[in-house]
Amino acid sequence: MTSSKLYNAIFAAGISLILASLMIGIKLDTDGSTLAVRGATATQWMWIGGGIAVVFFSQLFSAQVDALFGAIPKPNIKAMLPQDQKMTTLKPWLIAALIVVMLIWPFMVSRGSVDLATLTLIYIMLGLGLNIVVGLAGLLDLGFVAFYAVGAYTYALLSQYFGMSFWACLPISAAMAAAFGFLLGFPVLRLRGDYLAIVTLGFGEIIRILLNNWTSITGGPNGISGIAKPGLFGLEFNRRAKEEGAVTFHEYFNMDYDSSYKVIFLYLIAVILVIGVIYLINRLMRMPIGRAWEALREDEIACRSLGLNRTAIKLSAFTLGASTAGFAGCFFAARQGFISPESFVFIESAIILAIVVLGGMGSQMGIIFAAIIMTILPEIAREFSEYRMLLFGLLMVIMMRWRPEGLVPMKRPNLELKQP
Amino acid sequence: MNQFRKTLLGLSTAVCMLGLTAAAQAETLKIGLAGPATGPVAQYGDMQKIGVMAAIYDINKAGGINGMMLEGVIYDDACDPKQAVAVANKIVNDGVTQVVGHLCSSSTEPATDIYDEEGILMITAASTSPSITEKGYTTIFRTIGLDSLQGSMAAEYILTNAKPKRIAVIHDKQQYGEGLATSVRDLLAAQGVKAAMFEGVTPGDKDFSALIAKLKKENVDFVYYGGYHPELGLILRQSAEKGFDAQFMGPEGVVNSDLAKIAGAAAEGVLATAPKSFDQNPVNEARVAAIKAKGEDPTGPFVFTAYAAVEVMTDAMTATQSTDAETLSDYIREHDFDTAIGKVKYDEKGDLTESTFLVYRLHQDGSKTPAE
Amino acid sequence: MSEFSLYLLQQLINGLTIGSTYALIAIGYTMVYGIIGMINFAHGEIYMIGSYVTFIVIAGLMGMGIASLPIILIVALVVAIFISSTYGWTVERVAYRPLRGTNRLIPLISAIGMSIFLQNFVVLSQGSRDVALPPQITGGWNFGDPSLYEVSLSYMQVMIFAVTFISMTLLTLFISRSRMGRACRACSEDLGMTNLLGIDTNKIIALTFIVGAALAAIAGLLLGLYYGVVNPFVGFIAGLKAFTAAVLGGIGSIPGAMLGGLILGVTEAMTAAFFPSEYKDVVSFGLLVTILLFRPSGLLGKPEVEKV
Repeated sequence: MTSSKLYNAIFAAGISLILASLMIGIKLDTDGSTLAVRGATATQWMWIGGGIAVVFFSQLFSAQVDALFGAIPKPNIKAMLPQDQKMTTLKPWLIAALIVVMLIWPFMVSRGSVDLATLTLIYIMLGLGLNIVVGLAGLLDLGFVAFYAVGAYTYALLSQYFGMSFWACLPISAAMAAAFGFLLGFPVLRLRGDYLAIVTLGFGEIIRILLNNWTSITGGPNGISGIAKPGLFGLEFNRRAKEEGAVTFHEYFNMDYDSSYKVIFLYLIAVILVIGVIYLINRLMRMPIGRAWEALREDEIACRSLGLNRTAIKLSAFTLGASTAGFAGCFFAARQGFISPESFVFIESAIILAIVVLGGMGSQMGIIFAAIIMTILPEIAREFSEYRMLLFGLLMVIMMRWRPEGLVPMKRPNLELKQP
Repeated sequence: MNQFRKTLLGLSTAVCMLGLTAAAQAETLKIGLAGPATGPVAQYGDMQKIGVMAAIYDINKAGGINGMMLEGVIYDDACDPKQAVAVANKIVNDGVTQVVGHLCSSSTEPATDIYDEEGILMITAASTSPSITEKGYTTIFRTIGLDSLQGSMAAEYILTNAKPKRIAVIHDKQQYGEGLATSVRDLLAAQGVKAAMFEGVTPGDKDFSALIAKLKKENVDFVYYGGYHPELGLILRQSAEKGFDAQFMGPEGVVNSDLAKIAGAAAEGVLATAPKSFDQNPVNEARVAAIKAKGEDPTGPFVFTAYAAVEVMTDAMTATQSTDAETLSDYIREHDFDTAIGKVKYDEKGDLTESTFLVYRLHQDGSKTPAE
Repeated sequence: MSEFSLYLLQQLINGLTIGSTYALIAIGYTMVYGIIGMINFAHGEIYMIGSYVTFIVIAGLMGMGIASLPIILIVALVVAIFISSTYGWTVERVAYRPLRGTNRLIPLISAIGMSIFLQNFVVLSQGSRDVALPPQITGGWNFGDPSLYEVSLSYMQVMIFAVTFISMTLLTLFISRSRMGRACRACSEDLGMTNLLGIDTNKIIALTFIVGAALAAIAGLLLGLYYGVVNPFVGFIAGLKAFTAAVLGGIGSIPGAMLGGLILGVTEAMTAAFFPSEYKDVVSFGLLVTILLFRPSGLLGKPEVEKV
């Protein structure tokens, strides 16, 4: 047993040496106009050596490492959350209190934090949308960003060409994204698993390329700038009213102008949208359609033999997910004030998918946590910004290895009959 | 309601965890430096950083501004518009009132909304898109010429010096490249020279053989490329391999020693509009030496435009004894500045009145000489 | 020949060149999918690493003063295959093997993570800017009427055709004749059954990854020499295209991957020939969607039988 362990460890260390020494140890460099190689510095070799040692020992003690990883995370989050029994006795006043906290909180912290929270809320919205498609219905969509783009461009274009307000565009954006979801879903949903993944990926790329090339309408790579920010019943949040005769918020209420109002107002809209989406999805999950999504994910053939309409169920999931992305896109355009196709690339789809998976497929709670981690962590770890994407990739692999069910695994909403 | 409540609870606790307030207690005068420190275009961000840091170092050595030492604070937007907005909000948050940046036009654009609204002075050393200064903002300036200036310079050169028989205009479908290519095409068309081809390529693509075959079929003898050096380098290289020898011309985005490394001998004689090489300017001799002494490269096109951006800010601050963006902006509009990039004068929009561009001929050893 | 047909011929040559490298990379996707039914998203990065290794070896050997091109190329090929295969094997061992037998989505996510990891690993170790290699193999044949249109076929393009053809032939022989190849085919029929018959399926799966990576390394070498430029982001784009090619031809089928690659390459060249070239990706993805709609398992794929 031990000797095979040792053999394994030596083998792994040898492989690491081969992998590391050529890519890290030797660096391509241009010397004038010819290509040359140069060796790594002594410190780099030290790092390589250190890395190999880590591999060697982790292989030698792989069983212990596995045990360690298996043991750590689980109790952590459970302990942070209130117990189920407590939850059932929670009164509506607690929810009200929570919402109030979320509403008051931004007035006490800095503008940057509020803005970051807004960005996080956008990702939460996107995560929740994709969760319907991937987590609940089990359809792997790698082009989710397309619907996000449709939502964003709908608002941007309507605002630019017809001067429509954010509030009018919000439902239209969602409807447009849903329509695209429906149109795409109709033909492709007969494809199975991985084919669906690649087709949606291709669709995401097509939408982006079209937006990029259709310069006369979308501005092409220049994007659309000067998108109006949402107002409150016609009151603008600007220092000076943008339109003639319009009244700004601070003038109306006779307050001094404070730039943070605008940011806070955006945040509040996002909070309301997210709460709305969570509420809606929660209701849906309990309805027959929600149950059908999960049933379909678990066993498609069984569903069909039970007489469930496969196409209708898949389409509804696809369309609903898309409309959520449409909401998020519309809001994103409002927050940015400027959008261009650059914001809707594949890596964005991958990040949203990572949020869903890291959080735990199907679990709304987990997705919220994961969205927060994914947006906050890079901000905190600015010093490591070079390593951000590297760690992001590594995290995805490690999570799948040791905690594939996600940070907060999904709990099916269920009712238990009380025994008399 | 169980699940819903729990979800909400999590949401709110988590949102509360966000309350990370930055303690901004300034003893020094902070100058924000916004641009890509990571990502594929980080090398351009480095140029900007080198320039700004050199300027700050020089100014501090000379005693600082109004009795305060300058401090450069780096904000990384990775040239991602979404992060640019976050960075701009963070800058507002940190109480920084002078910003050099952003670098990519697509990042600068959404950020200017915030800077103008919040009264922050922003001078970009690299964004050349005309629309940035077209929104009537008061506190937005740049120390680099506009795309349109570069375009008109290129068009003029093509009409008076190159006089090609058939010209093709190619671009990379990005804001910078397509903007330039469009302006060159339109300016040529206004003079009665119609482009035989106007087409985009995909940035990051490696295979241009189909495009070259097409150019060859159209019998083009002059190609204007709007975009950056990686794609043009490959187009040049593949053209040489396929026996297509037209005269190529590009904007300052292709002026990079990497162009010659990619294209090899095919890079010889390519024309390009570029800012005057400020590192060759005798005025900057000491600065170039100081940058080189730190082991950094002073030749990048944005090094001295970034240096000049800091100079414009600090000169205005010394003269007005103020850090208020409106005061500074008014002063900057009304005065001339003597900077590392020469005399700088602004028009009402915040653009330079004088073009700093020149047509160069590039060589295969990576150097460039003014074109005849 | 008329000008038009010469032009068409030129674009066909261009399309087949790029198509054959797509095919080489696509085989890695298709073999892995055929056996364990997962998309190896990190495969494109293996190709990118192959390109880097080629550059390192060529630059290193030239730095040592070795001038003979054939020796340099052969050494580069061997080292690139060896290193890329090691990467391929390691990726399988670290990111996929522990996840076997779980929900289908899980290894896919792990693969996307691995792809991001490898890409940024190379960004950090080799820098994110383009690395260029001076042209090694230059020249070619020109034919056609110079007054109409001159078609060029470079030696490099011929080399790409030849190497691709040899690799494909060797692969086909390996799969159809050797013991290991037979085991591979058995695994793709029924993994569990093969295991019961006393074949070490883990070894076969690892072998699949190694063979796929070796072919990707060959593609890396060829395209590295052809374009003369590599950066850490080439893998993703090439991987996406190759994967499209694999799906197009019917994922799981090796001849399908070859066919799919060629079709995709030619489609791209022809789109660029007659339409603005910025639309070529739209057309290739559009083609994929259309083919999948009419033949849901690709051109040469076997229709999947659903079993309860």
